[in-house]
Amino acid sequence: MANDPIHQFQISKWIPIEIGGLDFSFTNSSAFMVATVAAAGAFLFLTTSSRGLVPGRLQSISEMAYEFVASMLRDAAGSQGMRFFPFVFSLFMFVLVANLLGLFPYFFTVTSHIIVTFALALLVIGTVLVYGFWKHGLGFLKLFVPEGVPGVLIPLVVLIEVVSFLSRPISLSVRLFANMLAGHITLKVFAGFVTSLSALGAVGITGAVLPLIMTVAITGLEFLVAFLQAYVFAVLTCMYLNDALHPSH
Amino acid sequence: MAGFGNALRLSSEFIAGVAVGAGLGWFIDRMAGTSPWGLIIFLLLGFGAGVLNVLRSAGQIAEFGAKPPAGGKGSDRK
Repeated sequence: MANDPIHQFQISKWIPIEIGGLDFSFTNSSAFMVATVAAAGAFLFLTTSSRGLVPGRLQSISEMAYEFVASMLRDAAGSQGMRFFPFVFSLFMFVLVANLLGLFPYFFTVTSHIIVTFALALLVIGTVLVYGFWKHGLGFLKLFVPEGVPGVLIPLVVLIEVVSFLSRPISLSVRLFANMLAGHITLKVFAGFVTSLSALGAVGITGAVLPLIMTVAITGLEFLVAFLQAYVFAVLTCMYLNDALHPSH
Repeated sequence: MAGFGNALRLSSEFIAGVAVGAGLGWFIDRMAGTSPWGLIIFLLLGFGAGVLNVLRSAGQIAEFGAKPPAGGKGSDRK
């Protein structure tokens, strides 16, 4: 069905692989993840290979991406946070390129599946937990005790803070996934109006101009959302890493 | 459309808090056999955490581990 707005999110197995009863198939999702990594890697490698002292146009895009993430991380987590730069930069580039690739017609959007964004969010929170406990030991738990709370309330506040902390990977992943999913469905629904209206003859074709304008506008908006969500994901990662670096009050 | 982004951001924060609270309570009930008290208590805590998440994400309350403003002991408003 051409007009089904959900159809674009369907997973199809390209190379079925099964190991020990578990499904390890190479799907269209995996293919686009590989494409994302390859595109991001190739772009960064090729544009910086000339190493011009005066950067060309493409080289300055790479340098801007580097500077952008570096200053974001430095602002949020201080200069100590720079040890996480490769991690945050890879995450940012992966999400950004996956979002942008998803905007091509007929392409699969990797980040519109919650399991993918959830895995990314778990990676972030896992890093925060492991690094926090490794670096600060049990002092990391001070994160959950806000300063200036009356003694009676501390157990309650600590429980709420723990639940709030655990909800971070959920909200981090849901936000990215929901934005991409909602955007792509809206786009598809408006584009579907164009085809179904123009099937109605001359009046329909005149009427179809309106959803067509909408489709063009939403495509522009989706480019913005693709950048914005990659940025938000990276900024929140920086803030969470800051907690791992400086948990004490 | 910036409002739409805000709505998604704040609602995802709130829903995540409630969902994690409920999930945690359900899990504790399952492990300890205290049904339904774990679910009830942690669902309520989840609502609290959801509100906390929303306030934090809206910049109304200091971040995790942030220093309260000087002299502002007891009030962690920014």
